[in-house]
Amino acid sequence: MLFERTFDLCSALDFPSVCQWKQAHPGGKIISYFPVYAPVELIHAAGMLPVGLSGAGDRLDIQHADARFGSFICSIVKTTLEMGLAGHLAPFDGFLFSTICDSARNLCFVMKRNFPQMYVDFLHLPHNPSSPAAAQFLAEEYRRILTELEHLGGGKVDDDALRHSIGLYNRNRALIRELYQLRTRAPHLVPTSELYRIIRVGNFLPVEEHTAQLGTALAEFQSRSAKLRDSIRIVVEGSFCEQPPLPLIRLIEDAGCYVVDDDFVVGQSWFEDHVPSEGDPLLALADSYLNRSVYSSVRHDFRKPRWDGLVDKVRRNRADAVLFLIAKFCEPAYFDYVPYKQELERAGIPHLQLEFEEKSFTFDRLRTEIETFVESLVFD
Amino acid sequence: MADKKEYRCSIHQRQKDLMLAWYDQLDQAAHIGNPPTVSMMISGNCVELLEGFGAVPLYPEINALQLAIRHQSLDPILAAEDLGYAADNCAYVKADIGCILKGITPTGGKLPTPTLILCNFVGCNTYLKWFEHLAKLQQAPLYVIDVPFMRAEEPSRADLEYVTKQLQETVKKLEELTGRKFDFDRFRQAVDCSSRTEELWSQIKHLARRSPSPFDAYFDAITLMGPLYVYRARPEGVEFFEAALAELQAKADARKGVYEQEHFRVVMEGPPPYPYFRTFRDMFAKWQACAVASTYSTVGGLWEFGFRHDPDHPFESVAMHMIAQNVTNRNFLQRYEQIRRYVEQWNADGVIIHFVKSCRLFSAGQGDMRDYFTKQLGVPTLYIESDLEDPRYFAEAQTKNRIDAFFEALEHSKMAASVRGGA
Amino acid sequence: MRIAAGVDVGSTQTKAVILSDNGDVKVLARALVDTGANVQRAAERAFDACCQEASIPSGEVGFVVGTGYGRYKIAFGNTQMTEITCHAKGAGFLCPGTRTVIDMGGQDSKAISVGANGEVLDFVMNDKCAAGTGRFLANSADVMGISLDEVGPLSLQAQHPVKIATVCTVFVESDILSYLAQGKTGADILGGVHIAIAKRTLSLARRLNIEPEITMTGGVARNVGMVRALEAVLGRKMLVSPDAQFIGAVGAALFALEKLDQSFESAIWRGEHAISGGH
Repeated sequence: MLFERTFDLCSALDFPSVCQWKQAHPGGKIISYFPVYAPVELIHAAGMLPVGLSGAGDRLDIQHADARFGSFICSIVKTTLEMGLAGHLAPFDGFLFSTICDSARNLCFVMKRNFPQMYVDFLHLPHNPSSPAAAQFLAEEYRRILTELEHLGGGKVDDDALRHSIGLYNRNRALIRELYQLRTRAPHLVPTSELYRIIRVGNFLPVEEHTAQLGTALAEFQSRSAKLRDSIRIVVEGSFCEQPPLPLIRLIEDAGCYVVDDDFVVGQSWFEDHVPSEGDPLLALADSYLNRSVYSSVRHDFRKPRWDGLVDKVRRNRADAVLFLIAKFCEPAYFDYVPYKQELERAGIPHLQLEFEEKSFTFDRLRTEIETFVESLVFD
Repeated sequence: MADKKEYRCSIHQRQKDLMLAWYDQLDQAAHIGNPPTVSMMISGNCVELLEGFGAVPLYPEINALQLAIRHQSLDPILAAEDLGYAADNCAYVKADIGCILKGITPTGGKLPTPTLILCNFVGCNTYLKWFEHLAKLQQAPLYVIDVPFMRAEEPSRADLEYVTKQLQETVKKLEELTGRKFDFDRFRQAVDCSSRTEELWSQIKHLARRSPSPFDAYFDAITLMGPLYVYRARPEGVEFFEAALAELQAKADARKGVYEQEHFRVVMEGPPPYPYFRTFRDMFAKWQACAVASTYSTVGGLWEFGFRHDPDHPFESVAMHMIAQNVTNRNFLQRYEQIRRYVEQWNADGVIIHFVKSCRLFSAGQGDMRDYFTKQLGVPTLYIESDLEDPRYFAEAQTKNRIDAFFEALEHSKMAASVRGGA
Repeated sequence: MRIAAGVDVGSTQTKAVILSDNGDVKVLARALVDTGANVQRAAERAFDACCQEASIPSGEVGFVVGTGYGRYKIAFGNTQMTEITCHAKGAGFLCPGTRTVIDMGGQDSKAISVGANGEVLDFVMNDKCAAGTGRFLANSADVMGISLDEVGPLSLQAQHPVKIATVCTVFVESDILSYLAQGKTGADILGGVHIAIAKRTLSLARRLNIEPEITMTGGVARNVGMVRALEAVLGRKMLVSPDAQFIGAVGAALFALEKLDQSFESAIWRGEHAISGGH
């Protein structure tokens, strides 16, 4: 089945799809990136394969990374380093980090030290989009990264190549938006445990292939007939770098929830709209980042509070409640939880906060909490 | 018994007076709305800009650490946790927010609602969230100066331009909010003051290269940092550091150290456990171990390697300071390099890495730092853990045990070396 | 002939050792008591029992070094040193060739890089939680309703050790109960618990350069299942002295002998007293 295969691709530590691509493109380079958002168009335009790595879940025992990153640090930082130390990152030629949080930033430089043969870079995404100087700055930052990629891959990347890549990713994002909108309208046709996989696999596949799969999935979902259950409609909010185990997503649905919106892999549908194809493509990407990005815990825009974005998301999706699913030790998510909670309370929107770890494989406690929450809403 | 003599003389009292005078100004601003006040982060702070408006800085971090030193941080932290902050959120933020919720201040005086909440974002993501929350809580305007992170060895022209432009935007913003015109000459004078204060501070830091060092470059430097961030750009700051340098220079010339005998010289990495500042110091005093350098004392600015603000290029040098010349906006590997330089040039016996639970900027990855110093450089390194603000995360006996074991080992190796040397 | 003693006051047990040196250092006696609530009394009881065992009056012991978490409470001691320093020394003596010590005690665990003369080159501690300590094993035994002495041998009989994800001693209890409810054997559960602890301990130890010979010390060294699990994860055999529990006390006694020998003047001996309340 489409979905089974896709998830294997996401989980296998020997990265079969990635190695396949490398074989099919001799001399081709693979650039991994740490979530949440990365300007994948740059990597694609340089003829390289962008791969979004979100840690190693429960498939890798942390044996060496603990010595470098101690307690109170999220698992994804450690499993990412562990993958490197255990040799699993051999197929990757580069690793791109950005201004996500303090732990991830330090990880970038620890990786730089420990894997000097890799191109490891840090992208400074602006936190003052109000400044007229921000777009120019970000465009130049993208130009800097592109220059590094050109050196790595050998070959200049011109504006047409960039526009072409942007066009491909625009199409990909548009399909993801369509799938999400279908799920909002008809959640009984689009189980989140399936939608999640078909979107997340886009982190590993060439965009052209992924877009085709998304089209197939959309058609498949639309053609289904299923009964609408008496589940509550929820928004899942978690500022996810570290990904929830798939059984946890299933558990949420089995416990009586329709997830009508989520930010599991928000980086893949980061823009609210198409990135313009006219004008300077780097400036277009920069401007889109600054002015047409969805809200996220890792992006700061003091013109538009993030918590208004959450309330708006709940209303837009006609959700009954919010489930905060926070990765253990995720500091940005813990911080945002406070104003989110305040605003939800003001708006009279019920919510539940739970912690998870990517490496969990028993969920009894979480199941009880979610079921109790659902019951409290259903029997209100 | 090791002599626990601490650095305490007239400069210590003068520092207290200056800080109380500053809190008085803030109290006045709270009551009559004048002078204007601007909340800022200590790291890479642009206090010079405020001088152009006669504005006084408000430093939430100083409030937080003052509370911890006075053993008053737990209640506000708990109040913040009641509001929904997590056990793993930075305790500085919780203490500060908690104070506002409970209406308490470190000195008992009032603190004003700032005219502007200016988030000088220099690496620390927590700063961004903290100030967003303050803006929401205090209903005050927020502006973020986005300072590009030091991802290369030097800042680029694009980095400098971006920050310089934002500084000019900040000026416009402050003109709107204060109703005052930006006084460029006062700003330039402020930058000039800073350059002189920095020169004095740098000389003080370099005095610690002497043997014995006349002051502890961790515990004593932290005490001297207050005036550095509040008064750096004012004549009072220059005077203070002139007096400090003179006093310490005299001690150095008289070969007077911090302890009876300077038995060990160490480089300290990481913030201190403020709720246990004295207790922590005692653990090192017992061994007559003096810090000759520290990274935490360079959060506001890194001046011992030559950087100075430049009154001829005021905006650009302020931008440069914010980008490249403070430990928080410098990348993790640059911190290794900074510590390595201290070990070599300040002639230290070892490195003490203090992991603090609250601060991931400092602490995430310190295990790799330890790996670098022990395995790659062969520098004796001790790793200890607690928190900078939350009194619940300090295990006194365990910390003492680790410190004792470290110095026992250093002692033995010194003995062995002297035996070999003498043979 | 010089006679000296070392007393190691641990959180659960107190150990004492008396050494003699007439050109050749020998262990004259060893004693072990439960620490209980009164640390000072425990130290006295252990020391007295040791003197009795050696058939020598306590006055003949020339110097006493205290170590362990209760080292400041040993009123009759002449001075004290950390158990890290003493474990390294003791391991170097009892297991010649030791370059790495892995110590797993009742409440903490540590790894030490040891030099050729038993000196500490580097160390790492887990002194903040029960993961990787005897406490973790004791809790697991309690949950399963078996005695602590049985856990090691039972773990060796595991056919399919279960996966234990958590290192939290509180949460592992519910995992164990869950596996028991699923019908997993005690052997398989304990096999999993031992492997998890071994991995956790070695994860800590890898902050150092782990070099052979690797010597295991501390109370948990008596657990044959733990020894095997560590060896399996390490991929090599470890040295385990029959006196593994006494290594700290042996090290302390060795330092006491050196003091008698007057060959060891240093900051540590600068008139520091072990009277309770001292530093």
